[in-house]
Amino acid sequence: MTLVTEVSGDRHQSARPVLTMRGINKSFGAVRALTDVDLDIHAGEVVALVGDNGAGKSTLVKILAGVHAQDSGEITFDEKRVSIPSPAASRELGIATVFQELSLCDNLDVVSNLFLGREIGAAALDEVEMEKRSWELLRQLSAKIPSVRVPVASLSGGQRQTVAIARSLIGEPTVVILDEPTAALGIAQTAEVLNLVERLRERGLGVVLISHNLADVQAVADRVVVLRLGRNNGVFTVPDVSYEEIIAAITGATDTAITARDSRRGEESR
Amino acid sequence: MTRATPGSQTSLREANRARIVDAIKRHGGLTQVELAGATGLSPATVSNIVKELTASGVLHTTPSTRSGRRAQHVTLARALGIVAGVHFSQRHMRVALSDVANTVVAEHNMPLAKDHRADNELDKATRLIADMLDSVDAQMDEILAVGIAVPAPVDIATGEISRSGLMRGWDGISIADLMHRRIKRPVYVDNEANLGALAEFRLGAARGRTNVAYLRLGQGIGAGLIINGAVFRGFSSGAGEFGHMTIDEHGPLCRCGNRGCLEAIAGGPAILDSLREGNGPGKLSDVIVHAIAGDPLCTRAIADAARHIGIAAANVVNLIAPERIVVGGELARAGELLLGPLRHSLERSVVMSTDKVADIVQGQLGERAELMGAVLYAIDRATIGGDDYSIPLS
Repeated sequence: MTLVTEVSGDRHQSARPVLTMRGINKSFGAVRALTDVDLDIHAGEVVALVGDNGAGKSTLVKILAGVHAQDSGEITFDEKRVSIPSPAASRELGIATVFQELSLCDNLDVVSNLFLGREIGAAALDEVEMEKRSWELLRQLSAKIPSVRVPVASLSGGQRQTVAIARSLIGEPTVVILDEPTAALGIAQTAEVLNLVERLRERGLGVVLISHNLADVQAVADRVVVLRLGRNNGVFTVPDVSYEEIIAAITGATDTAITARDSRRGEESR
Repeated sequence: MTRATPGSQTSLREANRARIVDAIKRHGGLTQVELAGATGLSPATVSNIVKELTASGVLHTTPSTRSGRRAQHVTLARALGIVAGVHFSQRHMRVALSDVANTVVAEHNMPLAKDHRADNELDKATRLIADMLDSVDAQMDEILAVGIAVPAPVDIATGEISRSGLMRGWDGISIADLMHRRIKRPVYVDNEANLGALAEFRLGAARGRTNVAYLRLGQGIGAGLIINGAVFRGFSSGAGEFGHMTIDEHGPLCRCGNRGCLEAIAGGPAILDSLREGNGPGKLSDVIVHAIAGDPLCTRAIADAARHIGIAAANVVNLIAPERIVVGGELARAGELLLGPLRHSLERSVVMSTDKVADIVQGQLGERAELMGAVLYAIDRATIGGDDYSIPLS
């Protein structure tokens, strides 16, 4: 890489990714879930991770979240090699994950959910401070939550997703992973969540978005990483790619960067 | 009404009223309990103020339930039905519901994929309108008209995009007809720059002027012209294609098929391309944010684009001599970083002496101008004897 690209890169997105995964392998018994998977995430960038069912999206994300450990391959964070043995370690690094099931406590109000396990106040809880910070956070995200003192059970799907995303931001992460944030949401709520993803991007966070909805993906993502049967099957930058090309990569109906590279390598070795 | 002195009981009450109305505007509709949460006022205060504002016709309450309890759902009172405004831009959709007095009662926006397609997006808009109607407790048949703004020249007689190739997913269809089939209400379609001009002329930076050029600078470049106090559309609605004025006959190829159009030189993609080396910014909004933060390359890219736009704008000024040029669209967020160089290059190329040249200002309605234009257009067509040519009779 030349010096010029590095300098100009620094100004916009950091030239080096915040988080890289190289050659990740993972098997569950005889099933190879991931084979030599690479992934880069830059600050201020939305990376969409797409693929068919069983392509390995969730496994990859669970490795980042510290749920599973990879069998082999390396992860670097801020250019330092790291291992992520537990969810706590993942959070410590600055990776926040919002899973599909959200894991909110339905009977608690928004404030208690946001600060669950991270309450402010030594002996007694500082409810005032927590409520203030909750409003501050929700306002930064332009979230449409009418009250922070209602139980989460009474909120709409989109509002619950908003609360879950807001909760992930309490620990000031650098990378946020959203697993199917728009599945099972109405159109107005989907709009809210997509706007929220744009807010996260503006805050300079790296966002990994897993979604089956390619319209949503193309609306907010900067790059699309396609997984197919546990392998990388192409990386696309959104302005230059069509809907059809992504579908082709997901279903394997095409020559891809990988097959092209492999055939090139084959020729070179000959 | 006498003016309340600051700090008095009356001014406090007025401030609380404003808080409640603001909260309802933001959320569309809320129950009284939620209102108390959203405004930080006590439930008793909320109840009193809601009662008072309902009596004076500002708010409207309907009984409903929340988590199994009885509750009062509070919405803004609507005068004489509602209209819907929809703005499709190249990467965004905005939808608003408004009453006929221009009071927006609900608003939503969402990012769209590049090269979006008419059927998908019209479906989305329809579902969003239905959702929003629900939130303000209204029915589909209360909608008097729907106004739609699209980023391409539209023949308003047929509601069809009159130049194919500019919006690939929307070619060769009658948008008014397709939307009417979904929503069963009268639909009126116009070009986004025309509607942006209309909104700035009625509500924004061009109020009280008679001849105005509204430049919409963003991903694409367009213009809406107000001549003698009315939107000027020209023969088969083809006027105002500012972005396709030829700047350089041997310049880069434009998406319209010609060479050296203003848009190919100073449009969003062209600005991004000029910053492409290395790991450049991915979106036009990034360029603007970086430029405002003082990044020299991004500032320069915007200034370069502004200079080209200034030359094209000088041609417009020489031709129709508007009193004022209002700059809107995404790029207008850059403020003086854009307007300064634009003004400079315009003044070099106009014939009239500089004190007789239009002043150049930023739009007041920002990114909502086109949406408000769509709302205004729908209101105009709905109230002044509207159903002449909204839907082609088939």
